[in-house]
Amino acid sequence: MWRKSALSLFALALTATSLAAQARGAGPSARDSALSRQLRARPGDSLGRLEVPEAAGRGVAAVTARDNSALVKALEEKIRCTCGCNLSVYTCRTTDFTCTTSPAMHQLVLARLDSGMTEAQVLDAFQKQYGEMIFMSPPKRGFNWAAYLMPFVGLGVGLGLVVGLVKRWGKVAALTRAEPVVQAPEGAATPEEMENLKRELEKFEA
Amino acid sequence: MTELGNICLWIALLIGLWGSAVAFMAGRTHRADLGRSAERSIFALWGLLVIASAALMHALLTHDFNVEYVAAYTSRNLPVFYTWSAFYAGQKGSLLLWALVVTTFGSIALLVNRGKYRELTPYVAGTIAVIAVFFIATMVFASNPFERLGFTPPDGRGLNPQLQNPGMVFHPPMLYLGYTSISIPFAFAVAALVSGKLDTGWLHAIRRWTLLSWLFLSCGIVLGMWWAYVELGWGGYWAWDPVENASFLPWLTMTAFLHSVMIQEKRGMLKKWNIGLVVGSFLLSIFGTFLTRSGVISSVHSFAQSNVGYFFLIALVLFGVAGFGLLWWRWPMLQAETRLESMVSREAAFLFNNLILVVIAFAVLWGTIFPIISEAVRGTKVTVGPPFFNQVNIPLGLGLLLLTGIGPLIAWRKASTQNLRRQFFWPTVAMLVTAAALAAIRMSDGWSIVAYALGAFVTVTVAQEFVRGVGARHRLHGEMLPLAFVRLVGRNRRRYGGYVVHLGIVMLFAAFAGLAFKRETEVTLKPGQSVDVRSPYGWTYHLTHQGISQYDELNRFVTAASMDVSRDGKYLGTMKSEKRQYLDSMGQPTAEPATEVAIRSDVREDLYIVFAGAVQGTEQAVYKIVINPLVWWVWYGGLVLAFGGLITLWPSAQGPTPASRRRAEPAGYVAQVGA
Repeated sequence: MWRKSALSLFALALTATSLAAQARGAGPSARDSALSRQLRARPGDSLGRLEVPEAAGRGVAAVTARDNSALVKALEEKIRCTCGCNLSVYTCRTTDFTCTTSPAMHQLVLARLDSGMTEAQVLDAFQKQYGEMIFMSPPKRGFNWAAYLMPFVGLGVGLGLVVGLVKRWGKVAALTRAEPVVQAPEGAATPEEMENLKRELEKFEA
Repeated sequence: MTELGNICLWIALLIGLWGSAVAFMAGRTHRADLGRSAERSIFALWGLLVIASAALMHALLTHDFNVEYVAAYTSRNLPVFYTWSAFYAGQKGSLLLWALVVTTFGSIALLVNRGKYRELTPYVAGTIAVIAVFFIATMVFASNPFERLGFTPPDGRGLNPQLQNPGMVFHPPMLYLGYTSISIPFAFAVAALVSGKLDTGWLHAIRRWTLLSWLFLSCGIVLGMWWAYVELGWGGYWAWDPVENASFLPWLTMTAFLHSVMIQEKRGMLKKWNIGLVVGSFLLSIFGTFLTRSGVISSVHSFAQSNVGYFFLIALVLFGVAGFGLLWWRWPMLQAETRLESMVSREAAFLFNNLILVVIAFAVLWGTIFPIISEAVRGTKVTVGPPFFNQVNIPLGLGLLLLTGIGPLIAWRKASTQNLRRQFFWPTVAMLVTAAALAAIRMSDGWSIVAYALGAFVTVTVAQEFVRGVGARHRLHGEMLPLAFVRLVGRNRRRYGGYVVHLGIVMLFAAFAGLAFKRETEVTLKPGQSVDVRSPYGWTYHLTHQGISQYDELNRFVTAASMDVSRDGKYLGTMKSEKRQYLDSMGQPTAEPATEVAIRSDVREDLYIVFAGAVQGTEQAVYKIVINPLVWWVWYGGLVLAFGGLITLWPSAQGPTPASRRRAEPAGYVAQVGA
């Protein structure tokens, strides 16, 4: 018991310390950061402009209607960003605002569409440039079919095994069956059903 | 203090080796003194690892930046809360935590079962010691948390900004607790195989551990989803990243085990399968770490690649060969006591449920490693991302949802037509009515209609069970309905806790199906400008950019973009999304600015606003605006799932079911497990 109390007190003290640290800030230096000093050093430049633009991350370009186009979004969701993030170009450029690769790939998508390429041609062009790994999922051809089919082959094999076993066991069971079949829970108002229910309750509550 | 920690690791390694050897000798020779020595080795390991952990924590809290780990993951101005969590922010600390939790759980398992399962205990202690030795050896030889630098930097590099989130404080330890607690069922499975005591006794010993492990994994996964959603800013919570998959894999196999073990307890079937699932779950818990630490798979979580991957690969092979080798050796002793009699029975439903869970696990594993296979076979790298996993797993998941409804209601052995009609009439009606209603309102996504219809089916099956059970108690015992409800659940926590878990699963599926109706757009707004965004429910959000402000806060410099939000003319409030530039104690930036999302959540949908950045340093802001239906249901579904798990886990006076007790070896276990 004393151990439990001591642990609780320790946890409480830790939480209190943490909250107190958060409440007062993490130290005088954080309260007076270089960025903050920079902020104070630029009076009268606030209308429409950020005092410390670099603290807002990499500057971004204004969004155009084409950036939101369903076609562009659909295309970019099929193409992987090559920055190493494992995300699609669309997700990366609208999530990781430090990435410079996905905005460049986005511009490439727009340029290829502007040049009159169809969706399929744009994807082909990316594949020629980067190989199959540029797609967010393996193209459905050749060996890649193994990726899509194997889980269902596994399911089929499993089902086949289960059904085969049941059939084989069924034959054995038919020869040896002696006990009556147990029914699932019942809960009706007739005396017979009530008796069933009582049995069932006893079975599951015992 | 860190020297003490380092010394403790070395002593722990030696004691672990001693404990491993002596435990298996004790098992073979039945020498009680060796058995006691093995047990004490585990307790000693625990004590040494507690001291080592305290030493690392001391180094973190006192900012001993001469310790490489402390310098890499903390800074002087890091809030204490996150300095504490830096213990497991990196690989070295994670390994120490893992070893500590293995020995903690191992010690508890040995203490709780003291005097019981005498023939199993030495092997359990031995297996735990081997697992602990693996982690300690990995630390000592490859990834030592007490490694010192040749100099002492004035400040540390600080914690990754994305890890400075409450979700990240609780998510990793929850997952570690889940992974490590699988060691206990694995240790008992190995002990049962080595000793040849293969009745259901070992299952009784591990039942709570498997539930605990499953519960920790569930909580860890949901907390990880929450962290990804609120912190990463992409508007989703699951991306099928290899590390996410690594946590999902053992969860799937553990879920399968929790179902199939009931068949073994009730009918004496699936003995080989159950041991295979326990061994497989343990291996999958190791596999995930190998996958991400080795660098063989690209992952956003691959933050700490090192030669630790080789250690994990060796462990994976050794534990795999040992586990499945023992299973092969004992194969003839694991014959089923009864046979499956009908495809229309609870056993068959559970078997299909297991099949689908394992196939989903296989699909996830296959998709995760397919890039390696493709490169090995064709020399061509491919990417296997969310489109693949969604395509393969959606139909399998819906099949599983259907079986979630069927399994608990269908009769054991063989269901009669009357049973089927009685149990499934109303659920089927609910399913068809839901499907028809959704089709009538022109819901556009077919998979979603199926998901909601099956959700209605499962919900009604669960509700029907509660209504019938409570009604029966009310009529039989004259109890008031609330009392009857409490007693019904209390008398069979496993069953009714399971039903609550199923409700949580339905809520999660409902949320996943809602993703089909996600809407997102990017806009650029000057202060005072507005944009209208239409929700899938038909109403319109009117968002007005208020401007951007900059200020200091805690250990960061904040750039906040604010929006006034109204819905169909009704003002809802102001939402603020931020860029946070984290700073070290000298006020210098530690990393690129991180994004903080603004979220307004209700039961129907989330309005999710991300400040993407400022245009050319002005207050003209680019926003990403996402409308995410039903995300609330993920978090509360997770809570319901965890609550159901807790009900199931809660100690019951009754112990194992009579059928299960009968299957435990009469002389050795019945009295003990019933005690």
